[in-house]
Amino acid sequence: MTDNNSEIFLQLNNISVVYSDVIQVLKGVSLTVEKHRIVSLLGSNGAGKTTTLKAISGLLKPENGKVTDGSIFFDGAYIQNSSPEEITRKGIIQVLEGRQPFKYLTIEENLKVGTATRWTRPYKKDLEMVYDYFPALTKRRKTLAGYCSGGELQMLVMGRALMAHPRLLLLDEPSLGLAPLVVREIFRIIRRINEEQGTTIILVEQNANMALQIAHYGYVMENGKIVMEGEAPALRENPDVKEFYLGVSAGGKTRTYKDIKSYRRRKRWL
Amino acid sequence: MQATNNREQTADTPLDVFAHLTLPQVLAMQAERLGDRHVALREKAYGIWQRYTWNDYFTYVKKTALAMMALGIKRNDIVAIIMDNHPEWLFSELGAQAFGGVSLNLFTSAVASELVQALIRVRSPLVVAQDQEQVDKLLEQIDKLPFLRTIVYIDPTGMGPYRDNPLLMSFRELLELGEEHGRKHPGLFEQELGKGRAVETALMIMTSGTTGVSKLAMLTHRNFTAMARQWLSSVPIGVGSNWMSMSPPAWIVDQMWGVGVTLAGGMTMNFPETVETIQQDFREIGPSVLITSSRFWEDLASKIRVKIGDAGFVNRAFFSLAEKIGTAVVKCEAERRPVPFWLKMLNAWASLAVFRPLLDRVGCSRFVSAYTGGHPISPDVIRFFRAVGLNLKQCYGLTETCGIFQVQPDDEVKLETVGKPLPGTMVRISEDQEVLVSSDTVFAGYHDDYDATRASFEQGWLRTGDAGYLDDDGHLVIIGRKQDIIRDKHGNAFSPDFIETRLKFSLFIKEAVIFGEGRPFITALINIDMGNVGNWAEERMIPYTTYTDLSQQPRVEELILGEVRQVNTQLPQPMKIRKFILLYKLLDADDEELTRTGKVRRRFIYGLYLPMIEAMYDGRNEAEVEGKVRYRDGQIGMIRTTVRVINVE
Repeated sequence: MTDNNSEIFLQLNNISVVYSDVIQVLKGVSLTVEKHRIVSLLGSNGAGKTTTLKAISGLLKPENGKVTDGSIFFDGAYIQNSSPEEITRKGIIQVLEGRQPFKYLTIEENLKVGTATRWTRPYKKDLEMVYDYFPALTKRRKTLAGYCSGGELQMLVMGRALMAHPRLLLLDEPSLGLAPLVVREIFRIIRRINEEQGTTIILVEQNANMALQIAHYGYVMENGKIVMEGEAPALRENPDVKEFYLGVSAGGKTRTYKDIKSYRRRKRWL
Repeated sequence: MQATNNREQTADTPLDVFAHLTLPQVLAMQAERLGDRHVALREKAYGIWQRYTWNDYFTYVKKTALAMMALGIKRNDIVAIIMDNHPEWLFSELGAQAFGGVSLNLFTSAVASELVQALIRVRSPLVVAQDQEQVDKLLEQIDKLPFLRTIVYIDPTGMGPYRDNPLLMSFRELLELGEEHGRKHPGLFEQELGKGRAVETALMIMTSGTTGVSKLAMLTHRNFTAMARQWLSSVPIGVGSNWMSMSPPAWIVDQMWGVGVTLAGGMTMNFPETVETIQQDFREIGPSVLITSSRFWEDLASKIRVKIGDAGFVNRAFFSLAEKIGTAVVKCEAERRPVPFWLKMLNAWASLAVFRPLLDRVGCSRFVSAYTGGHPISPDVIRFFRAVGLNLKQCYGLTETCGIFQVQPDDEVKLETVGKPLPGTMVRISEDQEVLVSSDTVFAGYHDDYDATRASFEQGWLRTGDAGYLDDDGHLVIIGRKQDIIRDKHGNAFSPDFIETRLKFSLFIKEAVIFGEGRPFITALINIDMGNVGNWAEERMIPYTTYTDLSQQPRVEELILGEVRQVNTQLPQPMKIRKFILLYKLLDADDEELTRTGKVRRRFIYGLYLPMIEAMYDGRNEAEVEGKVRYRDGQIGMIRTTVRVINVE
């Protein structure tokens, strides 16, 4: 799994998650995140990636979900089924899928909200930092969030998360529905945050290609189980990841819709 | 689906007449006798069970046969069928046989090169393929198949872009062609059908090829009707009995039942919608009889155990109590002691409260009897099913005997034996312990291989290649493959099969391969069972992710070490396993490590894993491995990892 000499920051040990007491989404999921790394979770729709993030951040509760089995160990303490507030105070910040700002607040007001969980109040420096990472926001600081574009909103919610000084940042589908150029910009910033701030990041993505370019390590999930793991460069070279996540078929050609098949090759996950 | 209630007596079935007919002729007769009153086939399509009466069945076979004749397929031509379990398999197979053709089923899971090699051997002018995937495999290397004139596909999904290819034809078009050809040549079908003789080859089965190139066993029409006769006269099944076709048609088991027993007995054969829906479809049918591989039962037993492990406290407590009661009853029966009255009462409670609902859940509540074949099954699994009231019996057979000829009789099931021969079969043991068989079901020989055919007979008796003995009650006990018996450096003979089987009896071991030929001691490569070991790890909070990761966990090594030690206590000193390695991947037919029927190909594995095996004999503590993984599209991937050598002492 991981070498013992590197620092384990977050460890999920055999967690099972059940919604509404009946719907089992995860069963026996274990994964490890080391400090200062970007770890990517890949998988198709319904594989359990978002649920895994929510299990970590404690946001299962509002959706009537529960970690029924297993443990989540973060920086020296067990946090499974702690309240989201407690977990946030420990420095785990999740950026939800779908970009939900406070529509009737301005960008800057939205960013200030990010400091709500912090004891120390001065935030001027943090604002500067956020504007440094997301120059696009500087021009729009007085605009209501409701009038912003998708890319700007994504930058806003990520900036808001940065205001809370996260130690572990959980990003859920940051590229969803964005133009390719914007996607590239966002991923560039994610890498910069990781490099400059040393923030540990878990990145859930459908855009496996981009995710594996910036991540150090990756896990592939299917049906609530982890089916594959490895260093990002190794995953990029794996024939199954290529075929099912990167859209590259045998011979290294990019898949086109012309030669699509009604069947899928058998997965080996080795 | 009152399967067992409206079953007619098998005495009505003219088995004597069938012995002189070809299989399509038997079908014609059954269509006349049973007509539209009985369902012959049932297939789930689009979520609804579609029925075919005996008349429908016959009509489809007729159209298929006429179409094949229209395509210029001749008597003795070999028609290859690459299909999953669907009625079109039977239509194509019996259709080809109706005019004297021979059918050969190949595995849909086979990779392109395997299929092409097989087709080159038999020079098939016609292939009936399941879907786009199979068609693609053939088209990929079509230049190697100049003799192939037509490919018929069953499932038209995704076949639009292929419309211009003159080789291809859909099954619907085939049926239309048959209809038209029938109109133009009235009486042609009946005339060709009448020419068939019972002693001609009906179909060929590819043997599994555990040791090298597989052979083509030729089975005659009479083999199948004889097999049907043996089964129908010894097991209470007949017209209307339900069963479900689940094992691949390229394997002898579903052939022997599908075109043998079912056809002659007038039974109803059911087909699942897809491989993925088998469990669900199975439960809806509630078959009265089931014959399948031991792997199916092992998987089912382990699935039930895992589910019960995850169940609530009350359910778990009830189950464990009921299982104890059932086991006690089975023990009494096995020792042929009368079951005490109090135990009978308890068992009645257990049956009502636990076993019936459980069996109903897995679709097994209607069984009259169930059979397991393939490799020997763990006595624990058989005991488990018998304890919950399922009449599961071991049997034994070969491709060359047209399937199963040894079955445990109803009232005397002994866990370690494969029972007694069916009526009409004679079994004896040769001087060097080989099991020999004589029966009408014994095959005609290997296609194009006179030497192999001659070598497989000894004075008219078929050599099974298995070593075995008869116990005091006349039950056959199989020791293992005779040619697999090997000697270590000190000259001690041992059967790897025997040790592997004992290892595989463990819930946690899925597959094991034993080595030691010409070596100072015995070693093993072991595959853990992901489901059971995974559950075990979850209960103990051992974090794991993938198979590779789980297999190299130190506590999993300890677990398997315990299991190996347990097996060692049952083995004599020179046969004890001294070292083993837990493999980082499951053995797989795609990597040529298993046959398509799931049997271990020991020699291939020896070659592939030689560095690991050498490490065990060198006294090293770990071995670097570089393994190949084959993908179905022809790509080859590499895995590099380190595995630990585990000492048993």
